Parts: sequence; structure tokens; C-alpha cells
Amino acid sequence: MDKKPRFDQKLLAIFTKPFRVVKEVLADIKKHPDALKSALLSVFIMGAGQFRNKQKSKGSIFLGLFLLVVLVEVLTGGYIYALDEIARFPADPGGTVHFIRDYGGFFSYGLWGLFTLGQVVGQTLYRGQFVETFNKNIPWLTADNSVTLLGRGLIVFVIALVLLGFYIYNIVDAYQTRKQINAGAEVETGIKYFKRLWNDMFPYIILIPSLVMIMFFTLVPFLFSFLLAFTNYTYRLQIPNVLIRWVGFDTFKLIVGDAGWLNMFLGVLSWTFIYAIMSSFTVYILGLFQAIIIESKFVKVKKLWRTILIVPWAIPAMISLMVFKNVFDTNGLANQLLYATDMMRPVSTFLYNIGLQGRIDNPIFWLTANYNGNLAKFVVLIVNLWLGSPYFMMLITGVLTTLPKDLYEAAAIDGATRFQQFKSITMPLILRATLPAIVMTFTFNFNNFGAIFFLTGGGPAFAREAIPQSMRIMGGVPGQTDILISWIYNLSFASNAQLYNIASVYSILIFLFIGSISVFNLARSKNLWEED
Amino acid sequence: MKYKITNFFLALFSYTWLIVASFVVLVPVVWMISAAFTRGNLLTSVPLIPDPSKWSLSNFEFIFSYRSNPASQMADFPGAFLRTLQIALLNTVGVTLFSVITGFAFARLRFKGKKFMLLTMMVLQMFPSFMGMVALFLLFRTFGILNKPNYLALIYIAGSIPYNTFLVRGFMRNIPKSLDESAAIDGASPLQTLRLILFPLIIPIIGFLAVGAFMGPWLDFILQARFLQPENITVSVWLFRTTDPFNTLFYNPLRFMAGALLIAVPIMVLQFFMQKYLVYGLTSGAEKG
Repeated sequence: MDKKPRFDQKLLAIFTKPFRVVKEVLADIKKHPDALKSALLSVFIMGAGQFRNKQKSKGSIFLGLFLLVVLVEVLTGGYIYALDEIARFPADPGGTVHFIRDYGGFFSYGLWGLFTLGQVVGQTLYRGQFVETFNKNIPWLTADNSVTLLGRGLIVFVIALVLLGFYIYNIVDAYQTRKQINAGAEVETGIKYFKRLWNDMFPYIILIPSLVMIMFFTLVPFLFSFLLAFTNYTYRLQIPNVLIRWVGFDTFKLIVGDAGWLNMFLGVLSWTFIYAIMSSFTVYILGLFQAIIIESKFVKVKKLWRTILIVPWAIPAMISLMVFKNVFDTNGLANQLLYATDMMRPVSTFLYNIGLQGRIDNPIFWLTANYNGNLAKFVVLIVNLWLGSPYFMMLITGVLTTLPKDLYEAAAIDGATRFQQFKSITMPLILRATLPAIVMTFTFNFNNFGAIFFLTGGGPAFAREAIPQSMRIMGGVPGQTDILISWIYNLSFASNAQLYNIASVYSILIFLFIGSISVFNLARSKNLWEED
Repeated sequence: MKYKITNFFLALFSYTWLIVASFVVLVPVVWMISAAFTRGNLLTSVPLIPDPSKWSLSNFEFIFSYRSNPASQMADFPGAFLRTLQIALLNTVGVTLFSVITGFAFARLRFKGKKFMLLTMMVLQMFPSFMGMVALFLLFRTFGILNKPNYLALIYIAGSIPYNTFLVRGFMRNIPKSLDESAAIDGASPLQTLRLILFPLIIPIIGFLAVGAFMGPWLDFILQARFLQPENITVSVWLFRTTDPFNTLFYNPLRFMAGALLIAVPIMVLQFFMQKYLVYGLTSGAEKG
């Protein structure tokens, strides 16, 4: 059916490629020892190999970059003071002088910070001097702030990676050019080279602004929070008087090994799945149902009904959610309506009997009472239904109007009933057209922070006896309607939690789950892989 | 005969359903409007059946006349509105510019690492955006741009590039390549091709991106709540704090309804106006082929 290689075969080819390349390169080097000389020159000093190849302009670019990097490193470091100061302030007995920490420049200091997360804390003695939170005269008497070091180190690391790319390119270029020269090719002149460079590099040049922005505002923060999962960073650490440490998988072990955390996590996870599945499902069914009703031949003035029913779609979800928070307030519209129609007693009893309410209240505490967790979850789903069904109604209406009429005529001739036509023609066509939207809705709802945060704020809280001991001490207790993403928000930012490491572990889990669904979805779609 | 009765009941059922559904849809909306025009600060004083003759503009008067002072701990609504408007405008310009250029590069130019970059961008945007917030917070503090609303646009722009790139790329691929090729034969550079040939053809998707980018900042909460001090907040934070019962000083659900109405109405108008484009944009990007 599909002539192209399957996705897994492509993946295998991508992973084995490095080995094949190394093999080929080694074989090539043996044949061209002279080219290797140029390459080696470039290994030690960027651009030197190009000068040997008589490519002065290209060589100067690389040399300039090389000098710039060295200059930045030297000027931002304290190398010139190092000898003098080490003599004056020798290492403490039993301690050492952390040379890169005290005198390293932009690059070395940054990478040192990333790997060590700091070595000297505040309110201690180091090299015979008192370390402060900030010392503006002697930089090495400023206490190490692990968090800043981590962030800074990451930025340096990413910049260093880009530079490494240039460095490798410089070596490869020296080698390849020499090989061509030896084979009798002409040396490219400066102007010609710049012209070609501009043409080759054009896509990268116009992408640079976007890539830099993505690097700073998406990639680095992403790596940062990824790395936090492997540290012990919580608000309890009095930075900079304490250092953050790399703790490997300890945080992972805690959330799995501690029965309290594990139970809470499993509870939140299952509600997240129930919410994501149920909300997508209910929204789809209602949307489908209403689309069919509106498009049916019994209904006149279709446009009016359609306009009324898509109102919830047009109102921004954040605002609707906050309005619904008030609707389900104890004094809100829901309870007022029940009072006005004299239905409070029967409805409250009914909700109690079907297990949504913990006791028969008057008025009903929709979102706040801790024995009403199920009721709050129910309200969350109902409100989501109100918000979400118009989108599917519109989508399916669109599909319905494009259905081929001749199919139905043919089916009618063959004696199919209306229900049979619906089952075997309408439904499959609608499903096929809306399947991507269903998957998108599911992943969206899985991470639908707003639907929980603006409506219930995660509440109602668990009853005190339902909270495990370890969480009472550490903080970070989820509410009964919290899905993973809103719990992560509370873990990170609620004033009594700020368990950044645990929050990071959970977001890695979400990322792996949602990311793999999406990548799988995309990898299969022609849109991404098709080359044109 | 039997057929007619079935039809009658189906029609009856359809209309009953539509009427009930319309009620469910409209009642909260009407209640919201009615609350916005009710004097006081109690939800219980909002009548179930709205009575326009008793409506008062007191909430709107407060919103427009109240000015924040150093002791008040909370910015006034007009200030929040202007700050949000600035972010929104910056965001609109930035998003359209960067998305179009990036989308163009991925749709029309050939270069190494294209697929890798596309896949990376797609994966990156799967990460819950606010998980990077601790890092972004530090970054902003390092550069001294914390508590400066306009710089938030940087985060919004960067965050929107990946998805929008896919949209623009998908849109451009429906434009025949022969157009570019003939332009190239006539000596047009790639940028000229984008500016003179492609730009007029991608106006719909640019409009879609611009409207989305303009609406975004009005409806984002977390970043604005975390990065801005109370005197510099934006509309969404203002709305959230007026409807937060724990914020005793500013909690006033009726005032919230008035503020929400002021924001919701223009956005609703935009949404209805852009309905065709929006549905188009929602479906075109993700599921080509």
C-alpha cells in the first residue's frame, strides 16, 4: 500500500547513521594524509587550516570567532588577579582553592556552575575570608547561588554547543577543501565564497531570530525544569546559604517509594485520565447530536439555532469558567434557581442518593465542601460540556454539509433504512474527518489547566484524615478536582509547597505521555515527512 | 400515515431539544449580564429574571473611575487594560512577523536539519509551558525585565512560533511552487519572492495569526500573575482577583461580571467575525493528509 519505508525503519536508520559515518570518515582519512594536516591545524587554532589552504577570508572569519571566544573568556574571568590573590589568600587548611569558581570566565565558570551547582555557601569562611550573599569587591566572596548557576550554566552550555558546531565545521571544511585542492580543484576566492555562504546560509540567517527566541524562552527553560527533577531544589533550602545538589533519581524514588505520594499521584492521575476521556467523549457526543438535529430536515431557521448554540464557543473560556465559578457559588445562580423552583430539597436528596453529595445540604456546596469531591468533578465535566460542545457541533455541521448526496441515493435505492444509512455512511465519514480533532481535544484536555484552575482552583480540599502524613509535612497536597497539570502548578507555586523537583518529575511524565501521542500522530501524517 | 406521525414526533423532539439547549446556553450568559448591571457586591442580589428597568451602571462607574494608589495593592482597570493592549499589539506584530518568516523557510527553502528542527519544535511545544516558568523568572530577573509587562510578549511570541510555523507552512504548501520558480527565473531573491509573490496570497492565514496573537494576552493568566507586581497587573489578573473569595479586599463578583463583560464582548465580536478563518485555521494545520 505505502511504498515509503515504515516509520520504525526510518528511526532505525537515523540511529545507526553515526556508526556508518564514522566508518566512512576513518577510511577517507587514511587516503588523504595531507588534508588531515590542514584539519589538525584547524583543531588547534580555528581558521589555521584554512590559511594553509590559502583561503584567507574564510580563515579570518574562523580566526576572528576563535579570538572572540578566547577574549570573552579572559576578560570576563579574573585570571589577571589569580596569582597575586592565591598568594595572599591561600586555601584553608584541609580545603582547596576552587580555581574556576574564583577566576573562571564566561564559559568555564558557566560550565563549572552547571556541573557542580556551586561549592561555597554563605555565612562560612573560605580562604580565610567571610563569604557573604553579595560581595561587590571580591567576586569569589559572593556565595554560590545554585539556581542562578544552573540557569546560567545552561545558557552557556547551549551557546557552547553552537560554538562547538562552528568548531567542527571549521575542521571538516579545512579537510574537505584541502582534499579538493589536492584533487586539482580551484581555490574558491573570497568574494565567491561569501556569495556562496550567503546563499547556503540564507535559510539559517532568516531563522536565527526565531531560533534564538525559541532557545532562550522555550528550550533553556525546558531543559532547566527537566534538570530540576534531578536536584533536591525545594523552597526549604535557604539559598544561598545552602547548595542544591544533584541527587540523581532520588525524587523519582520518593514519589514512587512513599506510599502517601504514590497514592495521591495515582488518584490524581486516574482523575486526569477520567477527565480527559470523559470530557472529550461527552463534548463529541453532544456536538454530534446537536449538529444532526440542526441539520435534520425537521428544523427550520437553522442559522438562528446555530448562532445561539455556538455562543459558548465565542465567549473566551477563561471568562466563562470564572463566571461558572460564580454560578456554582453557594449564593450563585445554580442554588438560586433551585430555591426559586422549590427544587432544593429533592435535588439535594437526589445528589446524595446517587453518591455525588456526601450529605444532604441546603444550600448545596457545589465546589467547596470536602465531602463533595464527586459533585465538584461532575460540575467540572458539565461546565466543560457547556464550553466544548459548540466547537464539535460546528466541526460536524461542516462535515455534514459536505457529505456526498449520491451515496445516500444509492443506499436508498438498495433499500437501506435511515438508521442504516446513518450507521454505515454518515457516522464513518464523520469519524474519519473528526478523528484528528478528537485526539487533539484529548491531549488538550489532559493539560487543560484553565478548566480546573479558574473553576474550582483544584478544590474542594481533601478531608484532613485523607491526607498522607508525608504530605502534611512536605506540603503540596492536591485538591480533589486537581488534574496533573494544575497539581504541578500548585506544587511549583503555592506558598506552602514550591517542591520544584517533584513538580519537574511530574511534568516530565506528562511530557513523555503527551509528547509521544503527538509525535506518533505527526510522524504518521504526511505533512511532516513529505519532502517537496 | 405512520411515517407522518414519526416525523411529527421527531420534529417535536428536535425543537424541544433546541429550546432546552438554548436555555441552558443563554441562562448563564443572561445572568452574567444582569449581574454586571446590579448594584452592590452580593450574588444573591442578582434577580433571576433580569429587570432592565432596575439596572444600574455602578459597577462600570467604579471600574472606570477608580484609580489605584500606592496603598491599594491593586491596579485600576483602565491601567490594566492599557498594559494588556500594549502586550497584545506587540504580540500581534511579533507573532505575524516571525511566524511568516519561519513558516516560509520551512515551506519553501531547502536546508540541512529541516526535519530535525520541525520535529524538535513540535516536541518542545508539548511541554506544559508554565513548567519553564521558574527558569523564565530567573532569566527575566537576570536581565532586569521582571515586572515589565511589555517584555512578556517575548515569551508569547517565542511560545507561539512552533505551532504557527506549522500553520503557515501548511498554508504555503497549497500555493503552487511554480509561482516562486518563475519569480526566481526573473531574478527575484527568496525574500523578494516572499514579500511580492507569496505575501498577498497568505493574507488569510496572516489575519488568522494576527487575531489569535491579539486575543492571546487577554486570556493568559499564569505568566502575568507570576511576573507582574500588583501595581502592574493585566486584565486577566484583575478579573481573577476580583472573583477570588480569599482576596477579601477586592472580591466583588458583580464588579467581576462587569469587567468580564467589557473584555468578553469585543472578543466575541472578533470571534464571530473571524469564524470562518478560525475554523479553517483549527483544521488546516494539524491534519493535512
